Amino acid sequence: MTQPARVLGPVPSPASARAVMERLAAQLGRAVQGKPEEVRRVVTCVVAGGHLLLEDMPGVGKTTLAEALARACALSFARIQFTADLLPADILGAQVFHAQTATFSFRPGPLFRQLVLADELNRAPPRTQSALLEGMAQGQVSLDGQTHALPSPFTVVATQNPVDFSGTYPLPDSQLDRFLVRLSLGHPAPDVEARLLTTRGAASPLPSVEAVTGPEELASLREFTQDVKLDATVADYVVRLARATREHGDLERGASTRAVLALGSAARAQALWEGRDFVTPGDVRAMMVPCWAHRVLLRSAVQGVSARDEAAHLVEEIARKVAAPR
Amino acid sequence: MKRPLRLRLALRDLAVGFAFAAMAMSGQLPVWVLGVFIGALVLALCDVRLVARFSRLSALGLLVAAVLLGLQLTAGAMNAVVAACAFASLIAAQRMLSTPDAAAEGQTHLTGLLMVAGGAALSGDMTYALCLIAFGVLASLALALGVVEAAVPDGEPVPVRAVLRPLSVGVMFAVAGAVAFFVLFPRLNWAMVGPRSAPGFGAVSSAGYSNTVRLGGAGTIKGNPRVVLRATLTPDPGREALDAYWVGRTYDTFDGMEWTNVVGAQQTERQITLRPASDTLLHQRIELLPAYGARTLIALETPSRLGNAMAHTPTGTRNSPVQLQGGGEVRFTVTAPSYTYEAYSLPPDAKKGMSDGLVQAERDQLLALPEHLDARVAQLAAQVLQGEKEPLAAARKLATFLQRDYGYTLEQAGTPEDPLAEFLFVRKAGHCEHFATALTLMLRTQGIGARLATGFYGGARMDGGYLVRAGDAHAWTHVLVPGRGFVTVDATPPSNRTSQGSVLLEKVLALYEAVESRWRNSVVDYSFRDQFELASALVRPPRRAPGAPANEGPSRLPPPRAWVTAAVVAFVIWRAGRFVSRWTGRAPVLEATRFLDRVDTALQKAHVPRFEHETLEDLTTRLAREGHPLALALTPLTRRYLEARFGGRALREGEAEHLLATLRRALDAEASRRAVKPAGQAGPTARAS
Repeated sequence: MTQPARVLGPVPSPASARAVMERLAAQLGRAVQGKPEEVRRVVTCVVAGGHLLLEDMPGVGKTTLAEALARACALSFARIQFTADLLPADILGAQVFHAQTATFSFRPGPLFRQLVLADELNRAPPRTQSALLEGMAQGQVSLDGQTHALPSPFTVVATQNPVDFSGTYPLPDSQLDRFLVRLSLGHPAPDVEARLLTTRGAASPLPSVEAVTGPEELASLREFTQDVKLDATVADYVVRLARATREHGDLERGASTRAVLALGSAARAQALWEGRDFVTPGDVRAMMVPCWAHRVLLRSAVQGVSARDEAAHLVEEIARKVAAPR
Repeated sequence: MKRPLRLRLALRDLAVGFAFAAMAMSGQLPVWVLGVFIGALVLALCDVRLVARFSRLSALGLLVAAVLLGLQLTAGAMNAVVAACAFASLIAAQRMLSTPDAAAEGQTHLTGLLMVAGGAALSGDMTYALCLIAFGVLASLALALGVVEAAVPDGEPVPVRAVLRPLSVGVMFAVAGAVAFFVLFPRLNWAMVGPRSAPGFGAVSSAGYSNTVRLGGAGTIKGNPRVVLRATLTPDPGREALDAYWVGRTYDTFDGMEWTNVVGAQQTERQITLRPASDTLLHQRIELLPAYGARTLIALETPSRLGNAMAHTPTGTRNSPVQLQGGGEVRFTVTAPSYTYEAYSLPPDAKKGMSDGLVQAERDQLLALPEHLDARVAQLAAQVLQGEKEPLAAARKLATFLQRDYGYTLEQAGTPEDPLAEFLFVRKAGHCEHFATALTLMLRTQGIGARLATGFYGGARMDGGYLVRAGDAHAWTHVLVPGRGFVTVDATPPSNRTSQGSVLLEKVLALYEAVESRWRNSVVDYSFRDQFELASALVRPPRRAPGAPANEGPSRLPPPRAWVTAAVVAFVIWRAGRFVSRWTGRAPVLEATRFLDRVDTALQKAHVPRFEHETLEDLTTRLAREGHPLALALTPLTRRYLEARFGGRALREGEAEHLLATLRRALDAEASRRAVKPAGQAGPTARAS
């Protein structure tokens, strides 16, 4: 045998991967009701190994979603509330002096968890944001000349309020580009809201969420996702889509190479929903708006929700116009 | 409306420009049409659509032009083909300058085609072929770009580069294929149907050898560098420039204005003997080119025998009898753009003691003077000669006098009453015809017999032979010397005898003539017989040289040439096969795509509602979401297509048919289900857009 046997359980198949994802989605659906599409996107993002940016009003279940995800995947979890006075050391950790032994030792900050919820990320100063950036990009943290590896799998779910801009530091484009997927949950449908009132009241839905997978399975699932076949014509399609965003008259800046790669891995994870081990143009189109809408820069000066909507609209339009391979 | 692609418009306008050039090369279009079209082309290429706002006004202008052309046509001032061509150019100009919408596009290309056809009617030159190819290539590119442009949605860039390259390759293949078709397949030349003007830049009927000598008018021919004659001489003189006289005909009667001939005996033969041959004859093999534009045979002075003439017509080469006319002129009896023939001439020193062979009437004519000859001519001659009576010495004396005291000029404004007196006593400058006429008549006034000879002077070395240009046309004097016959004396200053054109232009023209002659031989006059000869030359063994040892018995094997040809053909087929198989190498992908096409066709036939740009994958997802009954049949089919196309699992033998059959059954069931339902509840059947 030239191929080393996988250590982590049975070799995943598209069908088993799909089963895990369905289970995860079912658990998340308990916490966030009436949003099956968004929940699936979250699962896709996590399986693709990306970080998630939730952009929404307060009180629509962002935090609940993140916590539910941690529970369903049995990941270690930390919630960091980003504020204007938050310092890098507050999230990364610090060297602590032990008076008894007269030595320094590293005390890891809240970032050293498998799933980190960075709540209201845009309230923290850029310095703190960029500390998070390194962790997200490299999966490690450098502190006082020492490199500390973050736990695996490591996922950041960041939230920001798209309406209230006072006292915020908008995320730089480089940082936005680190998030694989941007989602907004939006308000639940009226009937869902009514049902929530009658059944649950103010009680947290989190205890009902069960762990349906573990960090090891998630890691092997991510590995399997990387092996999903992406045909040359589909790759060409992705590149053509990217070029179309770059050449679009209403876009100041189109999709970057990182965005192209991101869409590739998101589409791979998306393919698993159908139990396929290959990507179709439909997978690419399905993930295009969540993957790219936050990465393109509009020429117009609109901001906030309308900018988000317009970007999504433009990306959708491009997805419609560029001919898919036949 | 979206803005059309600038490149495409430029290609279209250039194509039309070349179509126009195909006609303009004939030189028969009126100058104003030329001006209007070139102006319009320049404006169109600068993207100035001038008529866009005044389309009605310009249409009126076209109407006026049509009336004008019609008037010219009815007045007989213009040929119908030329008028049609001119009108086509005007329409093209108007269309090029109007708003580039779909209608204008089509009309512009159509007028381009009309102009190309007109060009074919007006000329059959190599330049025409080049213009035709340029028009074909550019118009194809412009049209194809138009198709691509229409397929690209609004606001998106047209992939010009990606499109142009394969397009150019395709057009190149098409041109190569056309050439191969031309060479390989029996063909008909529509030039067989009717006569066509001789090829070349502009009308050439006046460029070469003229049939009369009339004093007055400018000698523009001296500046014409076109080659009219090519000759191979045996023995080869080997000199760079030949200072020889090529005589075409002689004239003995002058009426004060024009030279004519007393018509002598006429005879039509395969070969004409003008003078008895001597031991040393100069053999010439002469080719008269289309620019010559006359039927008179030319030979070096003094011709003895002319014959073996071949006329090269568009329908092939054939023998042409030759006819002897007055003034020692020999003519072809067949009209053709070009001829070849052989001539034998006596060397200059071989005429001693030879009789001139003239009858008395002809001898008298050599002394005839025009009725109203200016008396000063005789006085001047007598004054110059001062009693010199020996014909040759007298002629040389007069020639020297003329060369010394008279200037050479091609400018001859106006038509004087008495051109000779005007030359001798007023302007004191003229060209070869003036000098030769003056010398001839001055000699006659002194009782010395002389006549005018016309033809060419000179000859430039080219490829082992000599070529003579239209500008080398010349006139000189033959003096009758008792006991020696006619002796050539040239009164024109020596430096002005040959062509007066620019040297560079002559070189360029010589190159052009060489290429064009090859073109004419291997393309325009390329006939079925040539094709047959080419084919047989490939397989037939070369003729055995006389005297070579005979082979022992006829060989049963094909000759080596046949083997080589077969090998070349086999190689070409093999390469083509490789090329094709490389394309079919993408079979799995193409097969899935073909399958998709069939599914699409089936769905379209069944009027399954579908959005624009909706792929099969999208459609299936949507139908599944809507709970549509077709989704059941479509889902496995779509999955299989996606697997085959993007998952690397090709369709198995017969699988596509099986899936399609299932789909058709489902579609039929769906159709009958809908038919049972009342019409109002049939659901959406119209194709969404």
